[in-house]
Amino acid sequence: MRLGALAWRGLAARPLRTALTVAGVALGVAVIAAALIAGQAATEAVRRAAQELYGSAQLRVRAFSADGFTPRTVTALRQVPGVLNAAAVAEERGRSLTTAPGPNEKVFTLLVIGVDPAEEEAIRTYELVAGHFLDPSDPAGVLVNAGWAADNDLTLGDELHFNTVDSPKSHIVGFLGDSGFGALGAGSVLVADRSFLADVLEAPVRYVDLQVADGREADVQAALDASMTEPFVVETLGDAEQQLGRAQAGFSGLAFLFGLVALVVGAFLVANTLAMTVAERTREIGLLRAAGTTSRQVLGLFLRQGAVLAATGGLLGVAVGLVLANVMIAFLESTRALLIGGPPFSPGALALAFGLGALVTLAGAAVPALAAARLSPLDALRPSRQPGRTLGGRLPWLAGLAILAVAIGVVLYPLQRGQASLGGALLAVGVLLAGAVLVTLLLQPLAGLVGRPFARFFGAQGYLGRANLGRDPVRTGLTVGALVIGLAAVVSLGIVSGSARQTAAVWVDSILPGGHAIRLGTADDIENVRPTMAGIPGLKRASAVAEFPAVEVVGNTRREANVAGINPTAFQDSGSLLVEGGVRRDAFEALRRGGAVLIPRATADRDGIALGDTIQLALPGADPQPFRVAGIVSYSLPTRTADGALLISLADARERFGVTQASLWTLEPDGSLPDAAFDAGVQRVATTLSAQALTARDLSSELSRSLDRLIGLFDVLALLAVVIGGLGIVNTLAVGVIERAREIAILRSHGMTIGQVQAMVVAEAGIIGAVGGVAAVGIGALVAWVTVTVAAPGDFAAGLAIPWALLAAVVLLGIGVASLAGIYPARAAAATSITESLKHFE
Amino acid sequence: MPVILEAHDLVKRYPLRAGSVEALRGVSLSVAEGEFLAIMGSSGSGKTTMLHLLGGLDRPSSGEVIIDGVNISRLDDEHATLTRREKTGFVFQFFNLIPLLNVAENVALPFLIAGDALADHRDRVDELLELVGLADKAGLRPDQLSAGEQQRVALARALAPSPAILLADEPTGNLDYTTGSEILDLLWDSCDRLGQTIVLVTHDARAAAYADRVLVVRDGEILEAIELGRRSDHEARPLILRLGSLGL
Repeated sequence: MRLGALAWRGLAARPLRTALTVAGVALGVAVIAAALIAGQAATEAVRRAAQELYGSAQLRVRAFSADGFTPRTVTALRQVPGVLNAAAVAEERGRSLTTAPGPNEKVFTLLVIGVDPAEEEAIRTYELVAGHFLDPSDPAGVLVNAGWAADNDLTLGDELHFNTVDSPKSHIVGFLGDSGFGALGAGSVLVADRSFLADVLEAPVRYVDLQVADGREADVQAALDASMTEPFVVETLGDAEQQLGRAQAGFSGLAFLFGLVALVVGAFLVANTLAMTVAERTREIGLLRAAGTTSRQVLGLFLRQGAVLAATGGLLGVAVGLVLANVMIAFLESTRALLIGGPPFSPGALALAFGLGALVTLAGAAVPALAAARLSPLDALRPSRQPGRTLGGRLPWLAGLAILAVAIGVVLYPLQRGQASLGGALLAVGVLLAGAVLVTLLLQPLAGLVGRPFARFFGAQGYLGRANLGRDPVRTGLTVGALVIGLAAVVSLGIVSGSARQTAAVWVDSILPGGHAIRLGTADDIENVRPTMAGIPGLKRASAVAEFPAVEVVGNTRREANVAGINPTAFQDSGSLLVEGGVRRDAFEALRRGGAVLIPRATADRDGIALGDTIQLALPGADPQPFRVAGIVSYSLPTRTADGALLISLADARERFGVTQASLWTLEPDGSLPDAAFDAGVQRVATTLSAQALTARDLSSELSRSLDRLIGLFDVLALLAVVIGGLGIVNTLAVGVIERAREIAILRSHGMTIGQVQAMVVAEAGIIGAVGGVAAVGIGALVAWVTVTVAAPGDFAAGLAIPWALLAAVVLLGIGVASLAGIYPARAAAATSITESLKHFE
Repeated sequence: MPVILEAHDLVKRYPLRAGSVEALRGVSLSVAEGEFLAIMGSSGSGKTTMLHLLGGLDRPSSGEVIIDGVNISRLDDEHATLTRREKTGFVFQFFNLIPLLNVAENVALPFLIAGDALADHRDRVDELLELVGLADKAGLRPDQLSAGEQQRVALARALAPSPAILLADEPTGNLDYTTGSEILDLLWDSCDRLGQTIVLVTHDARAAAYADRVLVVRDGEILEAIELGRRSDHEARPLILRLGSLGL
């Protein structure tokens, strides 16, 4: 036998403790592996989706005008020198379709895409799950997403009627997979022959994809600039990736940070376990040192234990991580909350997770290993020595561990799409870890306070349970700290998601006067549509919102701007639009007078526009018109790009830009009808117009649902960290019971029943959970505050929303998890033999 | 005096990998109320096992123990514990105070375990601290006391619920001569003045000489019962001579 064998024997001597620690490390590695794989899958899915959407095209020429390209322009694009193939794509959002009329008729709102089959086949490859591609000899044949069809019980050959005057019918000839056009509109998409669409509705050509001969891209762009008579924007594959990735930019980063947090909790567990081992084996270390073992050899023994824990936990974690990653990806695919899919196995991600696990675990092991190496033989052999009772000496190490985690985050945080805020995210993680370290410092006063109800409820057992927490502050501090991290993550997620929901609700409310709207498939003449809108029963006012693309002229440069003409009185009277800069009444009055514009806060901040400034707006090719900034609004109507619309009056839109059509109408009820009756009237008119009825309530809940799916996933990751924290509690309490076997025997000999002994240990666990829960509420709220107000204030303009019920639930969860974790040690304590324990003396 | 503790034909076997070993081989005894009984024997003789069985800390393999009329050997753990709480008090060699509790709280431990508050028994605790001479140290923690003081706290704790029997296992084994004598004086005083029944396990003839009667145990059996009678001088010579005659 060699000296190194003591390391393995040390671990083997405490199989439960070793197993729990390995499980903790494994879960941490699993979460980070799963997060990395899922992040990669999301990135890969975005890349693939963009590629599928572009096919072999390199350039997308998008019509600037809402009317799309004329047929002459489409033809001209095909003839540009260097263009090998050109595929025109018509698009209409929110088109209403039904199944065959009858008692089981269903109504859908779909994104309708029109393509030219022959040209499409030259540019894009369609993934068909069943059926066949569009056939020019059968122009009424359409393709729909297979998953969407299955959700709606549709099969090949089923009819779909366009909700227009003649109710023209199409039939399903093929099912698309979740790729290319099939992935658009979260699967609610229909692809039809453009010639067929032209007969049934006005679906303008929004863009033309160009396949260009090798090396001719610059020539083609120059030719486009020279020859195009209609305004256009040229986009590339990179633009598409960026646009698709924007919606899920934060996912990879957030998932990675949660993995990191879980791993740090695992490291706390390792540090704690080895600290216990050092404390337990202090005398043995003293003997070894007295017999000539160098401090380096002692250090090696404990680092070897750390290495075994890291390797075993890492390997197990990689295996569990693979399973977890597949579950995460499958979940996200099923909810369509995110573009995700692709490689469920990534050797790079697994190796990175294993390496990170090993690094953080060894860092955790270094703390007690160095403490063991520094023990003097005399000190270790002193009978009265009580090891591990000073917290101050360990604090720098804990802080170091937290800093290491943040440093790993800085180096490895996924920034591939450049959207997520690294500083803000890491600040949030830093606050989380610093909070956990601080809790270890404040454990005693917190336990004294939080444990008071337990002492009252459990009597002597509660009192002793509370007092036990002070026996080894380092050990208990690490245990509570680990639990706090997971619980605080749950709290911060809850507050952040609540705040996001609140912001979404405020946003939707502020842009829809009256809370109801109808969106037409394509813009129509305002005065033609107005009588139809006026026929809605219980209507107070229908106001057209004329959205149109324009350019903002700044010096010699022109940039794309989205403008909406609104009825100022309708928005003012209903309290819509949150005017931050300027006086609300004056802002609307200025709009009514004309020549004024309201700017979204984000645009104003980005472009440095202030109240009273004048901006120049123009239609492509036309002279710019000056508009004075009469107000800054918190939110504005959504646009294709991330910026909200610049708001002018409808009269200005008509008189200065000649806009007479609108696709969006806001509807205010007069209150004479119940909500449901008004809704039904709006729905009827929307159906008549083959349009989509919208309500603020539905939009808010749709946004909330999407958010809940993602947050739910992160909650699961945070709860895994809580589970690791729970394993730490089992470990700590189990060791405490072993150490206190004699004391428990004394209590038993003085008449403490088995039930009381169990209650004492469970009370101790419960207090750990309560302290963890209470601390987590504070720290989680702080992390959420940092996220909401510092890291990403633009996304949470409505401020913090505190979900009080969740906070109470987290405290109860902490108590519950800890109490559950206390069951095994409590049973072990109850099984303590009085006579056996009394035999062994210190 | 009425009998307060009886043991009938006590046998304690410990299982081994092959077979078993008998630590006690059919021991019977009775202790009268107010009696001071010492059980003597060398290491491994079975004297501590006997004390554990008599105090209800362990169950005999066969035979029975009756404490103040209650057959504790036939009770389940819950009832045996409650009987122990009500009728016995223990003093151990290593004091075994609860380090998290102060002196007064350690003395009140049996009351706390029973669900009472310290305040409900403040007078009793003060009285016992007065008895063991630690009235001025009620608020100190065990690690702030000397070994002798810690054992005095343990004694006060054992006496707190006014148990039918006080069982002491080598209470002076970890103390110096003078401190040990102080503890033995306190034990004898509680017996002689307060009528406390005491069963003391020791290998020290000087400690056993405080007892009214000494049972000598060897190989799990009572070898000899030596009547010393109640003596205030605690002279050990007669006992030592008697033990010598037994070849001990």
